[in-house]
Amino acid sequence: MIRCIDVRKVYRQGKNEITALDGVSLDIARGEFAVIMGPSGSGKSTLLHLIGGLDRPTSGELLVDQRLVGQMADDQITLFRRTRIGFVFQFFNLLPTLTALENVILPFVLDGRSKQEAEQRATTLLDKVGLENRKDHLPEEMSGGEIQRIAVARALAFDPPILLADEPTGNLDSKTGESILSLLREINRGSGCTIVMVTHSQEAAGYGDRTIFFRDGKVEKENT
Amino acid sequence: MLRLLRTLSWRHVQRHRLRTLLTFLGITLGVGVIVAIAVVNRSLTGSFQSTIEQIAGKAVLQVSNGESGIIESAFPVIRDTAGVQDAAAAVEGFLPVRGAEKERLYVYGVDLLTDSAIRDHQFVGAKSDLDQALDFISMPDSIALTESFSRRLNLPLGTKITLTTSRGKQDYTVRALLREDGMAKVFGGNLALMDLPVAQQALGKEGKLDIVDLTVEEGEKIEAVRERLVQRLQGAAEAERPRKRGEQIELLLTSFRVGLFFVSLIALFVGFFLIYNTVSVSVVQRKREIGTLRCLGMKRGELLRLIVVEALILALIGSLAGSVFGWLLAQLALVAVGETVGNLFSLVDLGPGIFTLRELGLSLASGLAVAVLAALHPALEAIRVSPLENARQTAWSPSFRGKKSWATRLGLFCLVASPLIIFLPPPLPGPVQQFSVGVIGMLVFLLGLAFLCPLIINYGVRWFWHWALRLPGSSWVEARVASDSLRRNPVRSGITVATLVISLAAIFTIAAFVNSVRGSLLAWVDQMVTADLIVSSGARTAGPRNVPLKEDPLSGLKAVPGVKIVDLYRLIRSSYQGQPIVIESFSARESATVRTLPMASGDGARALGEMGEGKGVIISESFQSRFGKGANDTIELTTPSGRIAFRILAVYVDYSSDVGSVLIDRALYKQYWRDELVDAFDLWLDAGADQQAVIADIKEQYGEPYQLFISTHGELRKAVVHIMEQSFVVNYAVEIVAVVVAIFSVINTLLASILDRTREIGVLRAIGATQAQVRRIVVLEAGWMGVLGGVLGLFAGTVMSYHHVVYNTKVLTGWTFQFYYPYDVALLSVVASVILCVIAGYGPSKQAAATPIVAAIGYE
Ligand SMILES: Nc1ncnc2c1ncn2[C@@H]1O[C@H](COP(=O)(O)OP(=O)(O)O)[C@@H](O)[C@H]1O
Ligand SMILES: [Mg+2]
Repeated sequence: MIRCIDVRKVYRQGKNEITALDGVSLDIARGEFAVIMGPSGSGKSTLLHLIGGLDRPTSGELLVDQRLVGQMADDQITLFRRTRIGFVFQFFNLLPTLTALENVILPFVLDGRSKQEAEQRATTLLDKVGLENRKDHLPEEMSGGEIQRIAVARALAFDPPILLADEPTGNLDSKTGESILSLLREINRGSGCTIVMVTHSQEAAGYGDRTIFFRDGKVEKENT
Repeated sequence: MLRLLRTLSWRHVQRHRLRTLLTFLGITLGVGVIVAIAVVNRSLTGSFQSTIEQIAGKAVLQVSNGESGIIESAFPVIRDTAGVQDAAAAVEGFLPVRGAEKERLYVYGVDLLTDSAIRDHQFVGAKSDLDQALDFISMPDSIALTESFSRRLNLPLGTKITLTTSRGKQDYTVRALLREDGMAKVFGGNLALMDLPVAQQALGKEGKLDIVDLTVEEGEKIEAVRERLVQRLQGAAEAERPRKRGEQIELLLTSFRVGLFFVSLIALFVGFFLIYNTVSVSVVQRKREIGTLRCLGMKRGELLRLIVVEALILALIGSLAGSVFGWLLAQLALVAVGETVGNLFSLVDLGPGIFTLRELGLSLASGLAVAVLAALHPALEAIRVSPLENARQTAWSPSFRGKKSWATRLGLFCLVASPLIIFLPPPLPGPVQQFSVGVIGMLVFLLGLAFLCPLIINYGVRWFWHWALRLPGSSWVEARVASDSLRRNPVRSGITVATLVISLAAIFTIAAFVNSVRGSLLAWVDQMVTADLIVSSGARTAGPRNVPLKEDPLSGLKAVPGVKIVDLYRLIRSSYQGQPIVIESFSARESATVRTLPMASGDGARALGEMGEGKGVIISESFQSRFGKGANDTIELTTPSGRIAFRILAVYVDYSSDVGSVLIDRALYKQYWRDELVDAFDLWLDAGADQQAVIADIKEQYGEPYQLFISTHGELRKAVVHIMEQSFVVNYAVEIVAVVVAIFSVINTLLASILDRTREIGVLRAIGATQAQVRRIVVLEAGWMGVLGGVLGLFAGTVMSYHHVVYNTKVLTGWTFQFYYPYDVALLSVVASVILCVIAGYGPSKQAAATPIVAAIGYE
């Protein structure tokens, strides 16, 4: 499903060059729940961003869902993100002025679907994450865990084959975190969605099938 | 502090060059407008006065009577008044130069022998001034030009110069050149000196004088001599100090200057808004950085000081640049103003002079004060933010407290106060004061609306964002995110919409005013001028005015085949109770059957009949409101024959002058004013006469020597509108400034709003919004502001223009104008507002679309 071959990512900041990824090669199979761990600054988020097409690798090959995401045009990759990738970030996932339901229907409406159709689908999704009773609430009226669930619901809008989560529980207490992790595993098991999750916590890593350790932009080791 | 500035602020400036540049430009533009207005106003103040003082030389008193003149036989009376030391008589007037279009000479006719006691004429290369003078006088075609004029038109000593005089074209020989000093400096050197009788002939003022300049014997009090003169003249002329006379002539400009002041108030308003807008937006935009600094342990006070000092430094540089810019702007404006004043009144020497300390002070004060004020409010808000707030999922709490906010309260207060100011004004002495109160009432209304903009955005956008769904190619997301973004910071978007409203209201008010004036003027011209042809000298002296012609050589006009009636029209400037007025005359009896008069009250035909019988005069509406006189009252006018009382028969409408006019029959006029000059011959043709043939006939018989200018009724209408529109050039300039300012603040707000929402844009892009979709959000946001600003601005402009046309103008000028609503401008201004905003939004929208996603969603 995801194949990285010697992927490098170098950031330029003025005269400095920061090597965020220093030749990463790895394969993640369809339906796998992969967990990425590593110290801060080791390039975990960068890898996730590259996989999700938010940025382009400096060199190397990156095949996602059988496509070379590093070489697609901006509009193409946007469409790809919209329908084939789900994102859950640590902070600031939702638009603060929109209600839960409105946040979830965003990808549909961006895709030009009618609002009615989108709302139907979104209600199902909210049901799935157990929050249909909160659909008319604004993000500021919800707890951190609820916000992350809404983010998950939105990520699932198009039933994407790949879900990318960057420290989705980093900002939550452990109990709430566990419920999010269970939700992710459920999704992984239920619909065969490939999940790549970055985390700092050992417990969180326990929900995955496989853990990949990063250090200084390189894969250090793997546990299966 | 210095270190902080160097590290934090300087780095910020370097990182956000565009933003800093925008803020800087905002201040520069705002201060520039303010400075330009100050310079123009200063140049205008005393412009006539200084010209008059320069011409007056050593004279401490001047006897004159406007364009009515003084009878020459009164000269000995003046000269022999006790206490008068020297007296010098003069006639003056503008005459065009043949073969040099646009050149007009200010001809001053004096008795060179007596004049040296008053003025020091320095002739170039003369052995002695007296020798030169005797030579000069001995020949009747002598003219003296200034060195610069002679050089410019290549007219050295001994060459001939042809002028278009009241008696047709006339040749003169350049017999002396004046060194450019004292009097010879006025009107940029376009001055010619002639011997008194020669000038009297050229100007058609035989037997009359315009000015007698006086010096007073040592030990005599000037005021005492003045009183003695007034006593002896018995109303045949007035005696004033030159400065006072200058002030009186300057009164002619009152309405024009008040109008300019009104326009400049609007420009000032817009300028202040621009500075406020740019500075406050630049502070608002740094909220996050401020949060970080607070995290790092910076104290609130320190931060506040940092922000204010930063704003001050930027404002200082901006104000200095603004001073330079304003100075340049003033040069341009002065050209336009000089042209307008020249067209409406008389040539005027307008120069910006030197940049005064006062203007520098004004520029710095306005720039710095507004910048600090603008920075303080958002800075106070920003430092109140808890340090952590920005790091977490930001809670959306609108910074605007709806109906309870101070802006809303102030806005409502203004809206209530404005009609009170307008309809219950305090008792005021003069029209200028009343007008000012009317304008203040209007501006308070505008300010009230501006303060309500945040509230209107908060509710307005919520109501009608649905409309955007109907726009082709845009979806719910774009419309919703755009409108949310406006509502999210209603104060910021409110300031921009308010700027739009103010600009648009200003533009619309001016447009509606011009439209109403045009409409009323045309309707008036049709009633006032029924003649088929108007014949006058084509030799222009100032704007539409031309050299008056002598009556007799043209009396043959009556004999031209096809001409039925000829009436003679004359207009002069005079004064009444020390205020300028206009005296108009024609033969009501000649034209009784074909003439109509637009009346303010009373029966026009009867009034014209009585006027023709010499029973009295008809006064204009402006005269009525200015001096509080009406039908059946009696007025005493200062004529060359002394003070004469006239009965007022009726009140008519006269848009040609706002100082107040008195209409008198030509026979009476000639009797008392001893003036046979004619400004225009009004011709009515026989039914079925060929207009073109008549014109050709007249041109052939009289055209060449008099440079006759013959206009048909239709051409006159066009000319009237043209002159009126010319007098609005400065207003149009302000309109352009207003538009630039509005566009500028839209761009500014959008850029800030995009920066504020970088993360949201990142999230939207991450979940699949294309660049085009992000662009549309920003453009829609701009469009919203355009719609809101357009609709509100039109509303404000409609209310304001009605008030301005119907109330303010009446108060200031005494004119009653019909209000003609400019529907085309109304439609156009709303459409233009939206289109311009959308265009303004294009740049920022591209910037938003290009937001790098990873950096945007990165959590600093
Ligand atoms: N937009 C960027 N510009 C410059 N450097 C970046 C950028 N994003 C990440 N980096 C750098 O790349 C390295 C890896 O970052 P990241 O992938 O976020 O690490 P992790 O998620 O493992 O903490 C870090 O040194 C970080 O400073
Ligand atoms: Mg990370």
